[in-house]
Amino acid sequence: MKMLVIFEKKERLRHVGHLDLMRAMQRALRRSSVPIAFSKGFNPHLLVTFAAPLSVGMAGRREVMEVPLSDEISESDFREKLSAALPPELPCVAVRAVDDRHPAPMALLQAAGYRICVKDHAPELLAAVPALMERKEVMALRKTKSGEKLTDIRPMIYDLRAEGEDTLLCILALCEAATCKPELLLDALTEQAGLPERPRVLCTRTQLYGEGMQPLESL
Amino acid sequence: MKEFSEERLEKLLDNVLKPSRYTGGEMNAVMKPFDQAEITFAFCFPDSYEVGMSHLGIKILYDIINRQPWALCERVFTPWPDMADAMRREELPLFSLESRTPLRQFDIVGFTLQYEMCYTNILEMLDLADIPLFSKDRTEGPIIMAGGPCAYNPEPLAPFVDVFQIGDGEEMMVEVIECMRACKQAGKTRLETLRALAKIEGVYVPAFYEATYHEDGTLAAFTPTDPAAPAIVRRRVLLNLDSAAYPSAFVVPYTEAIHDRIVLEIMRGCTKGCRFCQAGMLYRPVRERSVETLLRQAEELENATGYEEISLSSLSSGDYTHLTELVCALTERYAEKKVSVSLPSMRLDSIVKQSLEEAQKVRKSGLTLAPEAGTQRLRDVINKGVTEDDLIRAVTDAFESGWSTVKLYFMIGLPTETDEDLQGIGHLAQDVISAYFSVPRNVRAKGLRITCSASTFVPKPFTPFQWQPQDTLPQIKEKQARLGEILHQVKGINFNWHEPELSMLEACFSRGDRRMADVLYAAWKNGCRMDSWSEFMNFEGWLQAFDQCGIDPAFYANRPRGEKELLPWDFIDAGVTRAFLWREWQRAQRAEVTPDCRLGCQGCGLRRFEGVCAE
Repeated sequence: MKMLVIFEKKERLRHVGHLDLMRAMQRALRRSSVPIAFSKGFNPHLLVTFAAPLSVGMAGRREVMEVPLSDEISESDFREKLSAALPPELPCVAVRAVDDRHPAPMALLQAAGYRICVKDHAPELLAAVPALMERKEVMALRKTKSGEKLTDIRPMIYDLRAEGEDTLLCILALCEAATCKPELLLDALTEQAGLPERPRVLCTRTQLYGEGMQPLESL
Repeated sequence: MKEFSEERLEKLLDNVLKPSRYTGGEMNAVMKPFDQAEITFAFCFPDSYEVGMSHLGIKILYDIINRQPWALCERVFTPWPDMADAMRREELPLFSLESRTPLRQFDIVGFTLQYEMCYTNILEMLDLADIPLFSKDRTEGPIIMAGGPCAYNPEPLAPFVDVFQIGDGEEMMVEVIECMRACKQAGKTRLETLRALAKIEGVYVPAFYEATYHEDGTLAAFTPTDPAAPAIVRRRVLLNLDSAAYPSAFVVPYTEAIHDRIVLEIMRGCTKGCRFCQAGMLYRPVRERSVETLLRQAEELENATGYEEISLSSLSSGDYTHLTELVCALTERYAEKKVSVSLPSMRLDSIVKQSLEEAQKVRKSGLTLAPEAGTQRLRDVINKGVTEDDLIRAVTDAFESGWSTVKLYFMIGLPTETDEDLQGIGHLAQDVISAYFSVPRNVRAKGLRITCSASTFVPKPFTPFQWQPQDTLPQIKEKQARLGEILHQVKGINFNWHEPELSMLEACFSRGDRRMADVLYAAWKNGCRMDSWSEFMNFEGWLQAFDQCGIDPAFYANRPRGEKELLPWDFIDAGVTRAFLWREWQRAQRAEVTPDCRLGCQGCGLRRFEGVCAE
């Protein structure tokens, strides 16, 4: 049995990196006394996996973590115990028990939604949205494991909208085959708007999506 | 006056190293409404977050203050220089981690003094907080306090600090904040408040004393100038460690601290009487916690933190009466939860093979041993009651139990040291290697790693060596080179040493008087900060500061003091008497060993404190 945990990483913790967040979650699981499975081997550790690492500097609303269990436990019991062991800045939003054969969340992941609060030059940047979305091709320099690569990111932008006076909402590809980080989109928008450099933003990942743009945790 | 704003902080955080040092929000951080607390205490650790969060004292006092429903304690660490510079540029005042309140809004800003080379960070933090550095310039705002081991010679910080707490803090801290609360309720002035605090045992208010000097620069007199100030400040002693408050939860950092684990303080104090060791003299007498209490604390802390490691802490864990029982009970309870037990501070003569094996069951860590000196003669001079046989037996036991990483700690520049003593370190290292190869191949673990670490001896107040000069920089450098040569000839030894410049400055401050405060201020003005981090150590800035103040560092570091000289810390009764320390110095010169006082009272002076020496 495995438990999918949907949790929030609040703004105050946005500078906590992925490895530190993993360790914090492992410690929370240890504190919670839920029946968790350890790895075999010399230095046993908890077998917790995350759907997708969250970049340093970014908050997350509905992050997904998979926890293999060593024993049966009800969803409500698990949620209650884990919630009591989490700091207020890292609350558990929901849990879902799944079968051991359920695919890893990482394998189901297709895209992510972001809310980007633009701190300066917001009117110019927001005004550039329609023009960018009308383009057939948006070439951007993507950093990959093998170096920098010029890629067309337009097909990876599933949605991009302005909201209010300073906010961008977008859904970008996030999977093994193609990933468009919010920074790439922002660079493209910056260029489109004719701004000299990327404005300062506060970025929150609001949702992870799987097949058919369904929320990852519901698949 | 600089104002704090979340928005400007957020902007800074995007551009500094390790921003999560400054954002708090950790598990078990105590979040109380700031404006509802009657007394607010900013607990400052004058070093980085990672160092400060590893320290036990801050955890104990943070817990004790926050236990009072009417008081609040929040944490503050020294911003890394990139952050400090950014805060100055943005005019963002230094703030606490929990409620992000600027320091100047607290009733008390308290610093813990763990080592001398963090003193510039105190000035840096006060300045970043927009609080006047000198006590005489503060007519309002927080009372600046300091405590911890370095407070036993408070004089180099006297002009900057309003109130020192000297000795065990558990009870004194509560009395101090209660006194502050009463004074605040009664609307007492700053001066009246300081007078009330000065009456608490262990409290020293430097503004109430005056120092005068002889023509040769030595101290002539040190006298109280206020009727509230006692002529002798008696160190505070906690009588019962077992019933003393201990946190049931530690704040668990996100970013990894240097020591990120459960710490159980199994015992305070040490009776071995090593003559170089200030902690051994200052933390007398020995007080132990019971196995029952420790197991309860371990359980509470494990449940509250989820840590993977429990570390047993004391000055000399091997001397803890119930060590084997405790280690066995802990390993038995926590093996299933994959929690390991580690035992730092083991003395060679007391290594219990069984404890080693128990500790080994869950996870293996390196073994650290501190023979301190290379020959029996010098070990006798420093009263390190350890023989070469002890060392060899201990490492052989360890090698047989599957350890293969050993660290050996030595000091160079100890009183009476000769070249023979340096050669002795080489011999000892060679013998450890031979001990490893004497263990059958199928028993010992592969990959022997031996590290020899040589620090420079710093004479400390309240030790039998408090009158002795430190070696000069050229002398130390020569000895380090010589030792490097000797150890180069022993195959497979990794040798490292400490920066001698840092040890020299440490010597100046550890036995400094009020005039060293001028040097400290000048050095900070010259840009010195984070001195114990080699990347920021600015020795030129320090030399310049001595020069600007017309003070010769040799006066403090390299000058032998006479038997009759009035020492800057003589007004503090730390427990051990001057007569005992002088007697110990005489014995040291004859290489005479003084036995552990558990085997018979040596008359150190602690008996004068009612009820402290139970044995």
